[in-house]
Amino acid sequence: MSATQTNDAPPEPGSHRRGLLWDGMLPEALGLCLVAIIFGGLAAGYLVTDYSWKQQSAAAHKAETEAVAQAMATALGCVADADGRSRAGEAPDVAAGPRTGRPSEQVELLMRELGRLPGLRSMHWTREGEAPAEPYREGEAPAEPYWEGEAPAEPRRDCSMVVTVAVRTLGGEPAGELRVERSASADAGYRSLLLWNWGTPTGITLLVFVALYRRLKRHLRPMVAIERNLHSCAQGLEQELQTLTLSDSLGRAAQGWNHLIEQLTQLHQRLQEAQGAEQADVMARFEGAVFRRVVDRLPIGVICVTNSHTISYANASAAALLQRGPDELVGRAVDKAIENPAVMQAVVAAQARSGAGLSVDHTSRDGDQETTLRFRILPVSAQSPSGDALITVEDISQLREGERARDNFLYHVTHELRTPLTNISAYVETLTQPGFDDEQTRKECYNVIVSETKRLSSLIENILTVSQLEVGTARLDVGEVDLTRLVRQMVQDNLAAADEKRIDLTLSLPPKVPKMRGDKQRLCILLNNLIGNAVKYTPAGGQVQVNLEVAENRLVLAVSDTGIGIAAEDQAQVFDKFYRATADAVQAVPGTGLGLALAREVARLHGGEIHLESELGQGSTFTIELPWPTSDQKVTR
Amino acid sequence: MSRILVAEDDPHILRLISMWLKRQGHDVLEARHGLAARDLLQAEPVDVLISDINMPGLDGLELIEAVVPAGLVRRGVVVLTNRWDHGEIRTRLAAWGVHVLPKPFSPSRLSELIESLTSSDVTEPQA
Repeated sequence: MSATQTNDAPPEPGSHRRGLLWDGMLPEALGLCLVAIIFGGLAAGYLVTDYSWKQQSAAAHKAETEAVAQAMATALGCVADADGRSRAGEAPDVAAGPRTGRPSEQVELLMRELGRLPGLRSMHWTREGEAPAEPYREGEAPAEPYWEGEAPAEPRRDCSMVVTVAVRTLGGEPAGELRVERSASADAGYRSLLLWNWGTPTGITLLVFVALYRRLKRHLRPMVAIERNLHSCAQGLEQELQTLTLSDSLGRAAQGWNHLIEQLTQLHQRLQEAQGAEQADVMARFEGAVFRRVVDRLPIGVICVTNSHTISYANASAAALLQRGPDELVGRAVDKAIENPAVMQAVVAAQARSGAGLSVDHTSRDGDQETTLRFRILPVSAQSPSGDALITVEDISQLREGERARDNFLYHVTHELRTPLTNISAYVETLTQPGFDDEQTRKECYNVIVSETKRLSSLIENILTVSQLEVGTARLDVGEVDLTRLVRQMVQDNLAAADEKRIDLTLSLPPKVPKMRGDKQRLCILLNNLIGNAVKYTPAGGQVQVNLEVAENRLVLAVSDTGIGIAAEDQAQVFDKFYRATADAVQAVPGTGLGLALAREVARLHGGEIHLESELGQGSTFTIELPWPTSDQKVTR
Repeated sequence: MSRILVAEDDPHILRLISMWLKRQGHDVLEARHGLAARDLLQAEPVDVLISDINMPGLDGLELIEAVVPAGLVRRGVVVLTNRWDHGEIRTRLAAWGVHVLPKPFSPSRLSELIESLTSSDVTEPQA
């Protein structure tokens, strides 16, 4: 994602509630300013209106009130003059004022006439040398001529004033003073004045605020975009720095931001390059150390050879296999460290052509112990600038031993199979030839074919059993076995061979032998091999004794003969498969070397053991001990 | 009629070869192992020696190397072997003109070979 993306779209509603910018006090400050401006405008309008109205109304009302008061004072002067003459016995002067009723009634009437002045609240005439009269109360007879009008219902503005005028008679005598109290109420002029003085600053304030808001909003757009990008970065979104750039149309703030992003991108790239180089170096060192430790612990020897045929590295296994000290190999020439010229030649060949790997086997003897080392010279890699060669060293002595055992096994197997096969083949061919058709020859041929077929079958069975024992897949078919009957049968089967050699084959059984659990077929193999071997390796006229005893917790079967015996040095190996003693007397008797190996394994599978006591030239005794009563748990399945 | 010695430890093979050779009219001597064969040859040379390789006491190779250079076999030697390295045996015995028949062998083939050996006047070594 390297394309530049412009993030100047307006923010989604609610997406910036937690914005860095909007988390400040700006909206509240703007709102407070707006409220303050509005209320300030209102207050200012009110104050200005009130002050102006008072200034204008006060002057007009005062002049009007003074004129009315002066006229009233003139009228009261006439009343005072008339009252004075009345008290002196003179006729009232009608021209000087009202003459109806008492003078005070006339004054009150006059006051009522004059008191229609708007806002007039009261007029008090205080006669010369008298205390001010009590205010007039409705329903009460006024003590003094005065008048008190009705107060305005809802005075909008109070513009009260008190005007005091001296009352003089027509003769110019002081007759007291007239006190006029008046208040002016709001009128249409006041409302229009209030509207003008109040609305004008408010409207101007709103206009200013709107203008400020629009300007501020235009300035805040890049700030909002920047804030969104920072918000994304803070949330760890996988964004490249280039995607954070803004459109230049947003103004200088966006341009400054883009410049900052560009510088940050360059710094980030340099940092990544520096980190990559350092990491690669660290990894190379780390891997080198790890691989070195791994190679050091390999069970096979590893040797690195330079193009000058000097050993640059050898692990511990290589030193051990070459019977050198840990530090003796490094620095040595290959031909000095490995005393086999074929290895050096292989190294040269590998370094020359980088072809397939070469292998050299080197066998050395230390007394009876033979050790074979296999050197593999690996081709030099084309990527290796130094032209090093790699040699692996393995001890293949056990492999060779296994190969020899395998070859030996195959040799014996094929040898043993070919013998009866040769007889069968040759006698069958004989039967087909003219000149061998007499009854005796044919009978002899058939007998040989039958016996050799049995021999071949037995041999194959033994080989299969040995193979199963070799790979550990031999299993017993466990059932109830009458061992007495089995032993008697095996003796019977070998009786003919014993009779042929005039061997006295005898069997000794206890009166009662309980049945045991075991594999009848495998036990037959065991008994037949022991009794058959005794007959085979006992010279004519000898004796073979088979004896079965029941001990406390085991069955003991002993097969004794007066045969050729087994030399002490061969006794430990007679139970190995295909092992046959090298004595001529043994070699003179055909055999596979499998019989005793099978007998021992069958005894072991039944939880028993087999023992040998023998003296060369005197005879042998093979003793088998089987656990009794034999439980299934003791029999290896 | 030729005088032929058969040295073979397997009684069935010995009996079979003896039957075939006698039917051809040869005089057959039998030996169950190498030592007995050598004793018989030292007592009286034979025209043809038929020998097994694996025999107790003295094996076939040792027997041949003992009697052929001594001129105790006049016309030829036939070796019967079930060893798989009969190529090596053939090479080892090439100097003595030995014929090798690997087991299992055909009695007819052996009979023909004996016939060819006994009918010729000169022994032809076989490589």
